[in-house]
Amino acid sequence: MEVEVMESEMVLPQHLSFKRVQMSDKYPKGQSRGRHWKHLKQILQAENYQSFPPNQPNYVNIESPPSMYPSKKFCDITGFEAPYVDPRTNIRYANIEVFKLVRSLPNEYVQRYLALRNAAVVLK
Amino acid sequence: MPFATRPLRQSDYNYFPSTCPIVIDNGGSTFRIGWAGESDPRITFRNVVQRPRHKATGETVTIVGDHDPALIKYFDCTRSFQRSAFDGNVVYQFEIMEYILDYSFERMGADGPEVDHPVLITECACNPVQSRAKLAELLFETYGVPSVAFGVDTAFSYVYNQQLGICDRDGIAICSGFSTSHAFPMVNGEPVFEACCRTNIGGYHVTDYLKQLLSLKYPNHISSITWEKVEELKMEHCYVALDYFLEAKVFQKGTKEAEEKMRCWQLPWVPPPSEEPPSEEELARKAAIKEKQGQRLREMAAAKRSSRILELENELQGLEFLLQQLENVQESDIASFLSRTGYVSRQEIESALARVTQSLRKARGEQTEIEEKMEPSTSEKYPLIDFPDNMLSPEQLKEKKRQLFLKTTSEGRQRAKQKKFEEELERERQNQQDEEKRLENPELYLQQLRAKHKELSEKVEQRKRLKTNGLHTNGNNNISGGVGRGERLNAAQRERMRLLTTAAFDRGKGEDTFGAREEDWQLYKLMSKDNDDDDEGPDENEVEFNRIICRLQEIDPTFVAKSDGGSVVATEIPRFRPQTKEDFQIIFGVERFRCPEVLFQPNMIGIDQAGLDEMAGISIRRLPSKDDSIERSISNSIFLTGGSCLFPGMVERVEAEIRKIRPFESPIRVVRASDPILDAWRGAATVAAAPRFQMQTFSRHDFYEKGEDWLRSYCLRKRKKKN
Repeated sequence: MEVEVMESEMVLPQHLSFKRVQMSDKYPKGQSRGRHWKHLKQILQAENYQSFPPNQPNYVNIESPPSMYPSKKFCDITGFEAPYVDPRTNIRYANIEVFKLVRSLPNEYVQRYLALRNAAVVLK
Repeated sequence: MPFATRPLRQSDYNYFPSTCPIVIDNGGSTFRIGWAGESDPRITFRNVVQRPRHKATGETVTIVGDHDPALIKYFDCTRSFQRSAFDGNVVYQFEIMEYILDYSFERMGADGPEVDHPVLITECACNPVQSRAKLAELLFETYGVPSVAFGVDTAFSYVYNQQLGICDRDGIAICSGFSTSHAFPMVNGEPVFEACCRTNIGGYHVTDYLKQLLSLKYPNHISSITWEKVEELKMEHCYVALDYFLEAKVFQKGTKEAEEKMRCWQLPWVPPPSEEPPSEEELARKAAIKEKQGQRLREMAAAKRSSRILELENELQGLEFLLQQLENVQESDIASFLSRTGYVSRQEIESALARVTQSLRKARGEQTEIEEKMEPSTSEKYPLIDFPDNMLSPEQLKEKKRQLFLKTTSEGRQRAKQKKFEEELERERQNQQDEEKRLENPELYLQQLRAKHKELSEKVEQRKRLKTNGLHTNGNNNISGGVGRGERLNAAQRERMRLLTTAAFDRGKGEDTFGAREEDWQLYKLMSKDNDDDDEGPDENEVEFNRIICRLQEIDPTFVAKSDGGSVVATEIPRFRPQTKEDFQIIFGVERFRCPEVLFQPNMIGIDQAGLDEMAGISIRRLPSKDDSIERSISNSIFLTGGSCLFPGMVERVEAEIRKIRPFESPIRVVRASDPILDAWRGAATVAAAPRFQMQTFSRHDFYEKGEDWLRSYCLRKRKKKN
């Protein structure tokens, strides 16, 4: 390895004396291990929260409910208050200048703007 | 990049007794590790791991945290990116977590056979027991840690600030972290998890939103808008508006105040070498060269013409001389004389003479004789026509037919000529009228002409459009979004396609009655390709249009005729413009407060949960003891911590919003942590340094003996729990 890389100590050493089991022994090279971890969703499913009393706090039931306020409409492009929606693209817009811009946008950009507020058309 | 400098390896690890706990704040974005009782963490780095391949040796190496960008050239990062051990705020990839712990202990200077210190590590509120167990197992089995304690960072931060006197014993801790935000009521300095609430929104979302918005706004500079840079912009420029729409209005109006609030990020830009406009001399030289070339061409043309004239004159003289000679020759010798000259008869010589004279005149630029000789009267020319057929012999009959044909064609030609002549006259007359009108009132005339030009140009254009688009293009069928679609075929072609497809699909549908009616066969005619030609000749509009263009060009110096392709104005190609400094600027104004606004209104980015302000209200509602005095006291100490609380204006906004949801005149005090980022670690360090800490940890033995249920209910309490 290059001298500067060694000097910067950016690379984690292979062998660490304070470990009981070294990384290379735990995960030997060249062996496919498959996926050895679960996503948060799977972890939460395995937690089996429904079998516990509902007043006991857990990761799922401490989540905030939806907002009580009516959701405000923001212009997708400028961020101003948006009284209008373009029926063709579904983009919310604030005024006629923005509307002109919206109509000149290619579909890819329209979808990206919509994806920002999770309203894009998702093809599955 | 904030942590591009690598933390140095600590050398004093061995001075600490094995009872001294190691304190870890395992945050979503940053990992901090240090000794209990100290004021600051020893090692801080970004909580990410990258495993690129070393280019020279080919081995896969592990890089934890940020690194010097200059050194990454030695590594092949094509298949590795920075990975985090977190899904949301829960640790789920323990292999990555192990690399991170390896690195942190190594930096702390650990060199014994195991890490022989108790460990206090932070986790999220209500961490799933599986994640907690895995982490404990990792610490016990791999590092040989004697005992472990888990705690919630927000509570540590609150307790630390309580000691500093910033907040009261009872209060609400609102922590806005990297990927989530929490609100807990704190009663007697203890978090009430029953009343806790979490919204899955945090600094990550703010940065991501800003990054997306900027890269949508400036698609040309997408490569410059990196995560690190945007994070930097966010920290430096973003703020929370007290009232979002009021602030947005300021920008919408474009007042001076808004202009001052705009921020501009100048990307590195080198001005291109400016081209000197050509000097006067240069221009003169070029003009001279051009002039010279033109002169030469003209001279060449003149020389060619004069040589041709000379040639023709010689020929003419020769022919005239020949005719003179012919006069003198005996009648009987004519044949032999002519055979020597190459001409067959006297007439031929004469006609050649006439031709040469004609071309000579032409070459000299004189008016050519257009008028043909008066044709001899028809009766002379076509003598046989007037005789009836029965009086003629078969040969004469044939001759008569020929003459008849010749006569009709020549008459036709005559008629065409006549018509042309009349048209010419008509045009002349029209021009004259125009001229008179113009002289009468030039202004008005020009105006009228222009109006007419406009009208006609529209008509002509529409006709062109109809030809290509069919008759239905008046905007309605554009709803499908395709402006350019359907323009490929013209109306006739499209009709033909329609007929073909219906013919193809109608087959086998019911009884085939094709051909029973006469009109059915008409279909083939419509389908045939020859039908395509839509050249009906230029219509009168077009003719008139062209005339007006000519006229306008004559009399109006300002008139510019649109080119043929100009029928669609929008397709005008933008002229090449040299790039300027302004093209390399990223300007953001509304984004400065629009992005942090997602913390208060998560539905801006499609997350349907309550924002920071409402969370406080929700957690007050969730309090198990419905005691008004407690509610009043906790709302008097609303405590903000976490990296996302650093935005300017945060405290004021939270206060204003909570005032809306609390009863009238209830005491409300919002405070920010002394250091929203580091206080969690500091609080944890003080807790770990307290003598009580020994009883709050659990050992390897406890971990394996007491089982999962115990671990689930494990909680770091200030006072010893009853169990």
